[in-house]
Amino acid sequence: MNLDTMRIHSEDETVDAVVIGTGAGGAPVLAILAAAGLKVVALEAGPNFTPETFAFDETLADEIYWTEERLSGGSTPEAFGGNNSGTGVGGSMLHWGAFVPRADARDLRLHTESGEGVDWPISHDALRPFYERVEAFLGVSGPRSYPWDAERRYPLPPVRRNGPAELMAGACKAQGIRWADAPAAVVSRDFKSEGGPMRQGCINCGFCHQGCRTGAKASMDVTYLPLAVSHGAEIRPESFAHGFERDRDGRIAAVLYTKDGRERRQRCRAVFLCAGAVETPRLLLHTGLANGSGQVGRNYMGHVATQVWGTFDHEVRMNRGYPSSLITEDFIRPKDADFAGGYLIQSLGVVPVTFANAVARGRGLWGQPLLDYLGRYNHLAGIGINGETLPCDANVLTLSDETDARGMRKARIDFGYSTNENRLNVHATKVMRDLWEAAGATDIWVLERVAHTLGTCRMGHDGDMAVVDPHGRSFEIDNLWISDGSTFPSSLAANPALTIMALALRTAERFLALGR
Amino acid sequence: MTERAPDTLFCLHFLGGSARTWTPLAEALAGTMRVVPLDLPGFGDAREEGGYSVDAMADRIAAAIAAQSGPYRLAGHSMGAKVALILARRAEDGDPNLAGLSGLVLVSGSPPSPEPIPDDRRSQMLSWIDADPETRAREARTFVRANVGGSLPSDFENLATDDVLRAAPAAWKAWLNAGADEDLCRRVGVLRTPALVFAGSEDADLGPDAQAALTLPHLAHGHLVTVDGVGHLLPLEQPDALARAILDHVAKPREPRAAPPAIPPGYADLIASDRVNSRLRSALNERAAADDPAYTPQALDPVELAILRAVFARVLPVAGLDVAARVDARLATGRGDGWRFMALPADDKAYRAALRTLDAAARAAHERPFVVLAGDRQDALLTLAQKGELTVPPSLGGRLDADRMRFWFEDARADAARLYLSHPAALARLGFSGIGAGGDSPAPIAQGLPGFANTSLDTPEPWEPKPWEPGPWKTLAEESAR
Repeated sequence: MNLDTMRIHSEDETVDAVVIGTGAGGAPVLAILAAAGLKVVALEAGPNFTPETFAFDETLADEIYWTEERLSGGSTPEAFGGNNSGTGVGGSMLHWGAFVPRADARDLRLHTESGEGVDWPISHDALRPFYERVEAFLGVSGPRSYPWDAERRYPLPPVRRNGPAELMAGACKAQGIRWADAPAAVVSRDFKSEGGPMRQGCINCGFCHQGCRTGAKASMDVTYLPLAVSHGAEIRPESFAHGFERDRDGRIAAVLYTKDGRERRQRCRAVFLCAGAVETPRLLLHTGLANGSGQVGRNYMGHVATQVWGTFDHEVRMNRGYPSSLITEDFIRPKDADFAGGYLIQSLGVVPVTFANAVARGRGLWGQPLLDYLGRYNHLAGIGINGETLPCDANVLTLSDETDARGMRKARIDFGYSTNENRLNVHATKVMRDLWEAAGATDIWVLERVAHTLGTCRMGHDGDMAVVDPHGRSFEIDNLWISDGSTFPSSLAANPALTIMALALRTAERFLALGR
Repeated sequence: MTERAPDTLFCLHFLGGSARTWTPLAEALAGTMRVVPLDLPGFGDAREEGGYSVDAMADRIAAAIAAQSGPYRLAGHSMGAKVALILARRAEDGDPNLAGLSGLVLVSGSPPSPEPIPDDRRSQMLSWIDADPETRAREARTFVRANVGGSLPSDFENLATDDVLRAAPAAWKAWLNAGADEDLCRRVGVLRTPALVFAGSEDADLGPDAQAALTLPHLAHGHLVTVDGVGHLLPLEQPDALARAILDHVAKPREPRAAPPAIPPGYADLIASDRVNSRLRSALNERAAADDPAYTPQALDPVELAILRAVFARVLPVAGLDVAARVDARLATGRGDGWRFMALPADDKAYRAALRTLDAAARAAHERPFVVLAGDRQDALLTLAQKGELTVPPSLGGRLDADRMRFWFEDARADAARLYLSHPAALARLGFSGIGAGGDSPAPIAQGLPGFANTSLDTPEPWEPKPWEPGPWKTLAEESAR
């Protein structure tokens, strides 16, 4: 994004807040604080890309993925990098899928409902206004009426359905399952967020995950970050935060970071740590801060994100259009479930390199069968779930003994499904298979997959059991706040970015309300 | 400095041989090529000379070659081949004294990697070289006889035995204890010089399998010739056959390599059109460029790269696309995809260990290196790896256990598939239209780009490419059947 005219703060100046990370957790905070007249500086580890660099290609998009190595263990090792982690001004939102269901109210009370998992320390009612504000600000496209929430209204009409969405709609109809056009943070017509550039309606190019050339997708670099900069926020790209300086009272007095190979230090009155559910706990573990509860790194969660693929007689050309343009929430609480929570289903179009990677890994094809199968690309379509993952002791992020080029220990993530995830997965796989059979698919196969990065700095009411309070403030260091997916106490079935942004607004406004 | 005839062939002998070893070949080549046999330090007329390391031997030969000028070829037999390979490396690196090298003839060559000689044979050879004259005479003859496939004419056998006895025992021991073990694999790298590689079908340690696994990986333009019924001493056993093969090879035009995957014209037109973003167009053209046959691996060594090529020939059977080299280049950058299985070491180490394990598995199961196994046998080993059932004990060279081999093979499949589908010829084969969704816009937030007007089923836009049938390139099987 264009940072040429942004306000620059001196490192010696004590700014009101430093925001570490410019993705879904950091960008809204930066915008709210700047709009309130605070002096704020964001440190972004990645470069400042301009949309001109987004070139409709998967390999070229490697530069927007967080590719510093993480070690994946446990019984369901999760892929990082392009699967869920970004770098650059805008963070992972440069490559996010922009699929923005709200969390189901029941998911925030899962323990009360089922005895499993945990309840969130905030109510859905408290969250709803923030959801509405984020949707209105970004320009979310969605159906005129949402089958699972009669009161919900989306600011823009839905984006066009693509081939996989049409197949899924037909199958849902045949099976008596409700469906809707997906809520998507992609503008279906020309739209301008406050403080941001005019963005043309989506051209259906299909490269959401490779960086949006037209700005139709609501990445942070065309929404909250321009708003922040217009109110005087400074964004420092290629600035890797690695430490804190504390005053006599233990409060954070400055953030230590590396930029252009030089060690730097920004004095500040408060810090918002918004680096995501891997880098946020990694930095806290690295510095040994805010972990009196012993909860930093614990209860790591990825969503159960199994996909089912099939071959159709139709010419699907799944690369065309917004990739996940249909949703059903009929399985948020399946009637015949033998597990707690539930899942949503989305239609899937995937671009070739990503698909080939999945086929080679997940289906295990190689040799001529691999070439033959990939050759049918234009006739393939998928559906996938995003399903509840319960917090679990065995799923934990720790620091590996291996260090990165900076000498910082690499993150090691152990993750595996437990009984609840396995049961949910079996249920969902059967539902998706049935749907794809109803849609007329042949050669159906299942891709086991884990998505998103959540947990590790959970919020709660009790400082012995949680890292931050229900507003994201550290129990131990009162000028340290966390705003990203790491604070999620449980995963929710919904894809996380919308909730992360809603919580970010709430956190920032709490900070303002407390008078710093 | 004397003028060299255009087809001078400098010849370097085997352990225990001398310049005289080449006399039969010189006679067979008389009138076609000037043969200049040379003694290596410690052997033949140079038996009083020291300097037994491969480099020291190469220095002496380099001096002899420098004394003459003009184009030349270099032949090396067994130990002499390792010296020849180092000289070729020096020549390709621009050593002015070695300018003019136009070809290599490697006969039962000792490879750049440590020579695969069993310990008992090595000990046996060391045991008698300093013994009493009678034992030496007996053992030298036994040594010569053990190294031939049939039997030598008695005058040749006498000459070879006499050469062994003439050799300085220190030179003999230095080769067995050090020279043969020198690991010059990365240093020799991959040579562009055309090379003819001979192997005797009856050679115990340096036969066709060893040459394919350990010598050919160093030769971008190498050609292996197996001579049936011959052991380790081809220049003495069948000098006429050797001469004929050399002359044939010199006369024959070089075999063409598989062309890079072709982009079908319609797809090339799309790439050239303004529907395609300029940055993407450059990237596609770059990916479509032919791979360098002499690509020198940076993360793997040349022997490992050859194993990886053999693996990818099964995983992604597409001719003309050197996926292994492209993976190696990526590994060498140290830049990964943001994660790795915790069970595996760093990507480059995992690849090296896995490839060595796979090779060890081939040797354990079939007593042959992986690269020479028939496709179905290679597939069987890869299938075991995929299932997590490929177990090779460390004593047999296994470096990764079955679980780790499974993780590695998953990574390797994914690496290959991702590289494949970044290639425009592969995208053409799919009929992938996504490259045409963009184009260029002068505005920072693009406006007016074409995208897709249709997104529904069965509504292709007129410009969208159809899958290219039966495929824009030959598979490896089709290529080799040609």
